[in-house]
Amino acid sequence: MKLMQLKNSYLKIAMTSVNKHIDNICVKANFSELEKIREFVFSYAEDYYFSEVDAQKITLAVDEACTNLMRYAHNCNFDFSICIDIFISDNEFVVQIIDEGEPFDPLSVESPDMKKYFAEFRKGGLGIHIMRSVMDNIKYQPSQPTERKNILKLTKFLPNS
Amino acid sequence: MPASNKFGITKKQANGIDCFYLEGYLDAHTAPQLESAFQESIDAGNYKILVNFRDLDYISSAGLGVFMAFIEDIRNENGDIKLTSMQDKVFSVFDLLGFPMLFDIEVNEINAIEKFLSKNSNDLSK
Repeated sequence: MKLMQLKNSYLKIAMTSVNKHIDNICVKANFSELEKIREFVFSYAEDYYFSEVDAQKITLAVDEACTNLMRYAHNCNFDFSICIDIFISDNEFVVQIIDEGEPFDPLSVESPDMKKYFAEFRKGGLGIHIMRSVMDNIKYQPSQPTERKNILKLTKFLPNS
Repeated sequence: MPASNKFGITKKQANGIDCFYLEGYLDAHTAPQLESAFQESIDAGNYKILVNFRDLDYISSAGLGVFMAFIEDIRNENGDIKLTSMQDKVFSVFDLLGFPMLFDIEVNEINAIEKFLSKNSNDLSK
């Protein structure tokens, strides 16, 4: 019996670590493509039972991540592509964003103290703060010397998980 | 610049206030249109700006950045950017970042107009 329980819990752990690939979209690194990205992410977030509010939050986080890539990593060079993959595990909704630009770890940027931000009328830098505020987990893997491929993973726990 | 069919701005002037009615999606692609619209008002010396969000369905930080870019200069000229009539989903983005700390966000346009007008009469009585 104990062995069975152990086996079940092992299976559960194994399952959570397996991400099932759901769909993929690749777009040019151009702000005009943001709408396409948002529609793609929002429809899958809704399919996986997120409330409208949470689906919008996930969509916003992905918009922010892609906007930053388009603005900074590619210097508005529209020949680059950004690819977005959706993965599902039994408790997570994962949006993986792959780009070919200069590596830049968004997690290296500290979230601003918003009281100071407003008092000093600062500009910019809010996208990463939004991503951190609305997602449950963010991971970044810069490209390796052999391949120009930065990977950003934005994770949100599935409802009722 | 060709107008995006996903974002629109209509401008009206009333009581010395420049009122902007936004519709659609305000993101990094469309934010420059709002920036130009605000710049036009400032260039014309109009520092009282009301923005009605009733028909705006989406805003990202690129949109929020437009308000941050202008608010300091406009307040230095004794003006303001007052925001009104937001849908909940748009307000939640402003709220997430604490924008109500800095911006006057009113439920409806009349409240915002009254605040502008009462500030005018206060100025006159000084």
